[in-house]
Amino acid sequence: MSSPLGTLAELRSALDAGTTSSQDLVAQALERADSHQNALNCFVGLRADAAREEALAADARRKRGEVRSLLDGVPIAIKDNMVQAGEPTTCGSRILAGFVSPYTSTAVQRLVDAGAVVIGRTNMDEFAMGSSTEHSAIGPCHNPWDPTRTAGGSSGGSATAVAAGIVPVALGSDTGGSIRQPASLCGVTGIKPTYGRVSRWGLVAFASSLDQIGVLARTAGDCASVLEIISGHDLRDSTSIPEPAPVYGDALGRSLEDVVIGLPRECFVEDGADAAVLAMVRAAVEELKRAGAKTREISLPHTPYGIATYYLIADAEASSNLARYDGVRYGRRAQGTFGLAGMYERTRSEGFGDEVKRRIVLGTYVLSAGYYDAYYRKAQQVRTLLRGDFEQAFAGCDVIATPTAPEVAFRLGEKTADPLSMYLSDVYTVSANLVGIPGLSVPCGFHAGMPVGLQLLGPAMGEAAPLRVATAYQRLTSHHEERAPEIV
Amino acid sequence: MSGSPLSRYEMVIGLEVHAQLRTESKLFSPAPALFGDEPNHNVEPVCLALPGVLPVLNRRAVECAILAGLATHCTVHTRSIFARKHYFYPDLPKGYQISQFEHPIATGGWLDIQLDVDGEAVTKRIGLTRIHMEEDAGKLIHDDAVAGSDATLVDLNRAGVPLVEIVSEPDIRSPAEAGAYLRMLRSILRYIDVSDADMEKGNFRCDANVSLRPIGREEFGTRTELKNLNSFRFVEAAILAEARRQAEILADGGEIQQATMAYDSATDRTRVLRLKEDAHDYRYFPDPDLIPLEIDAGEIEALRKGLPELADEKCNRFQSQYGLSENDAHQLSENRVLGEFFEAAVEKHGTARTVANWMLRDVLKALGELELELDDAKLTPEAFAELLELVDSGKTTAKSAQGLVSELVRNGGSPAALVSERGLEAVSDAGVLTTAVDEVLAEHPENVEKYRAGEAKVLNFLMGQVMRRTQGKADPNAVRDLLAERLKE
Repeated sequence: MSSPLGTLAELRSALDAGTTSSQDLVAQALERADSHQNALNCFVGLRADAAREEALAADARRKRGEVRSLLDGVPIAIKDNMVQAGEPTTCGSRILAGFVSPYTSTAVQRLVDAGAVVIGRTNMDEFAMGSSTEHSAIGPCHNPWDPTRTAGGSSGGSATAVAAGIVPVALGSDTGGSIRQPASLCGVTGIKPTYGRVSRWGLVAFASSLDQIGVLARTAGDCASVLEIISGHDLRDSTSIPEPAPVYGDALGRSLEDVVIGLPRECFVEDGADAAVLAMVRAAVEELKRAGAKTREISLPHTPYGIATYYLIADAEASSNLARYDGVRYGRRAQGTFGLAGMYERTRSEGFGDEVKRRIVLGTYVLSAGYYDAYYRKAQQVRTLLRGDFEQAFAGCDVIATPTAPEVAFRLGEKTADPLSMYLSDVYTVSANLVGIPGLSVPCGFHAGMPVGLQLLGPAMGEAAPLRVATAYQRLTSHHEERAPEIV
Repeated sequence: MSGSPLSRYEMVIGLEVHAQLRTESKLFSPAPALFGDEPNHNVEPVCLALPGVLPVLNRRAVECAILAGLATHCTVHTRSIFARKHYFYPDLPKGYQISQFEHPIATGGWLDIQLDVDGEAVTKRIGLTRIHMEEDAGKLIHDDAVAGSDATLVDLNRAGVPLVEIVSEPDIRSPAEAGAYLRMLRSILRYIDVSDADMEKGNFRCDANVSLRPIGREEFGTRTELKNLNSFRFVEAAILAEARRQAEILADGGEIQQATMAYDSATDRTRVLRLKEDAHDYRYFPDPDLIPLEIDAGEIEALRKGLPELADEKCNRFQSQYGLSENDAHQLSENRVLGEFFEAAVEKHGTARTVANWMLRDVLKALGELELELDDAKLTPEAFAELLELVDSGKTTAKSAQGLVSELVRNGGSPAALVSERGLEAVSDAGVLTTAVDEVLAEHPENVEKYRAGEAKVLNFLMGQVMRRTQGKADPNAVRDLLAERLKE
């Protein structure tokens, strides 16, 4: 029985001190991944042999004094929607069965170049569409705090792998909250950086204007360390911000004396959120005030339109991005003879799950002649208004605090029959994607034995602000140190 | 009422031309934009629409599109937007084509075409609605020999190659005008070196919107769109065939249905491909993978300054500067290389009229026979001017020189050396010429009589006979003098 792995900072110290090796860590991670797979189903696939070899190489580098980075030799996991050369990528979908990528995504390449050892790809909602990691071709991922509950989604596999101590760090992607919401539900820290901060080259697109790769880890400090490695301009992504990777360093250690936390009126009304969750988030803000932060009430008047706007834009883009899965060039093709239209229909009917089909139908509808102006164009206009809301808000505060999710992890199957209630899981998170600003979720306590997350949003390009507040919060509290019970 | 039903109607034609831009790589991927390679050789992850790939815009293609816009007097916009155009087809890997829709790179231009109206050259201005950039699709191979029966293979070498679509206003009124428009557009694109614009090779493709209206009426009739017209001849024939079809329907009191049509050259008829109600809903929306295309106004101006003199300006200049007829000036300016060759030869030789005549008659003929472009010919303007000087100075005859043009076009070389190598010096030796003249006069006494009776033009016949006898090498001036002298006797 393997014990849970520590934080990235802890593993780093142990490696530096020579009390462990990359081979040991990778073996431990692989063993733990394996032993928890039945209970948690958080991996789609492991690359055990390759990972062991890479660990061997990392140890050799260390011996030669050629350590590449603070991730060198550290086992990590990536979400199953980031391609890596020679490895399968399925996005949790049947339609990509058998697909092996000939190239590597920029974010994963930067991790590999830094010496990180990818042990496997994590479970996710099909094509990242979902908030529970139940819409996956390999079945649902389970929450390590209570396996009858969801891990959140769509990066539920990554959040679970970190929460269960299998890896210290995992990459996720966040289109409407897909890093922050599972981080919240699994009691880990997760950051979605500014849109364009991390290259999307090699990230399988769900909604191109919203998708962003980010990091899940046990601490905000670990998130920052990994973000520094994967960030930075990439010529292969036209939406990549032409700025070098930020260095957070000392900024994270600073006190909260001059920090103003904005509390949006619209996010603290008790009509959508669980009262206990709201109370916990308020308590977390009080804790931050005690540490010197100031608060002020702000207004984000268009956030009530966030969910509607988000699902119009995300689904429109998804319907377009998923057109390429046609069975012609790669992935799964329906067997039989039915002519061209028949091949398309059968391949896509068999290959996609219900939620993906629902989104493709919705997205196709909103882009159709006669509806485009009423839906897609209108949604883009609301998006502009939302951007204005946040610009105005950040003129008067440094970070914005809200709950990450309206409630703690729900039971598996609880919302699958009611897509709208599932969509509302993202009510606090979608705005950051629509506006392109960074957001993170930190554990801020427990309700009914399940983790609750505090969301901290920062201005565009300003990951440092929420990271600094989260780091201070984690110095003051120990919620992030709580471990899910050993269930195996 | 006379003639076909068509004579009662006026054609209203608008053309959409897809021209492939001459770039090294594709519009959104680093794969080479090359043809003739093995299928699926020039592809990389972006062309294959693999999961996770993203488009990155080729700036050279943008430059080409700007030049095309400037050369056709369009407004080139400092901000334009790429949009996705959706449809499912195996040659379209992403399930959408990246194109421009609401905000194209250039709008509102024109070009002038030359028309022959009852023997008179008339200039007509055709408006350009817009120019937008887009990527090409791949191609399907249905060939049983390659694909096996009932299989279809996909070749994505062409997928993603940059195109501009150039859309004209419905200003064109006849198949001949359509042909003239296409030739002028091709000339412009070649002048500015942004496209090979070769219809036969498929890098200059044309769709035509055709409608009819009773002569004298303002409002347009219902139009149909003719797709994939792949030669100049087909464009004109297809428009005529479609206009005839529409005229017959209208003459019978019928209505034209909006439709996409195909032209069958074997039957010279058009047929419906699909009706309007079956038209695709392309679901255009701005491509979120690409930021708006921002072009610096300074860059546009720099490109404008660098534009070469275009065909219509050159045509005007050739008329005023060299005194050429409009028709000759037009022919010599339609092609940039031809125009430049002409001017270089004139500079050396001095007499534009002579150079123009020889080029339009002998050089074009030789190029046609050898199936060469002037680009590929070995004849230099200097050698050409030298050849004409040999004629002017009487060192060789026009006839001999004409015979050398083809040789010089094919193999190059020095005209003077060729003349002496082949013994083509003009014969002006009095003894040889006198003998020839006397023999001819002796053989044609009846013509001598006619001349003496006042039929002066008989002299030309006798000249020709003397030239023939000397294999064209006789100096014509010497022959003429000698004949005149003898006939006076």
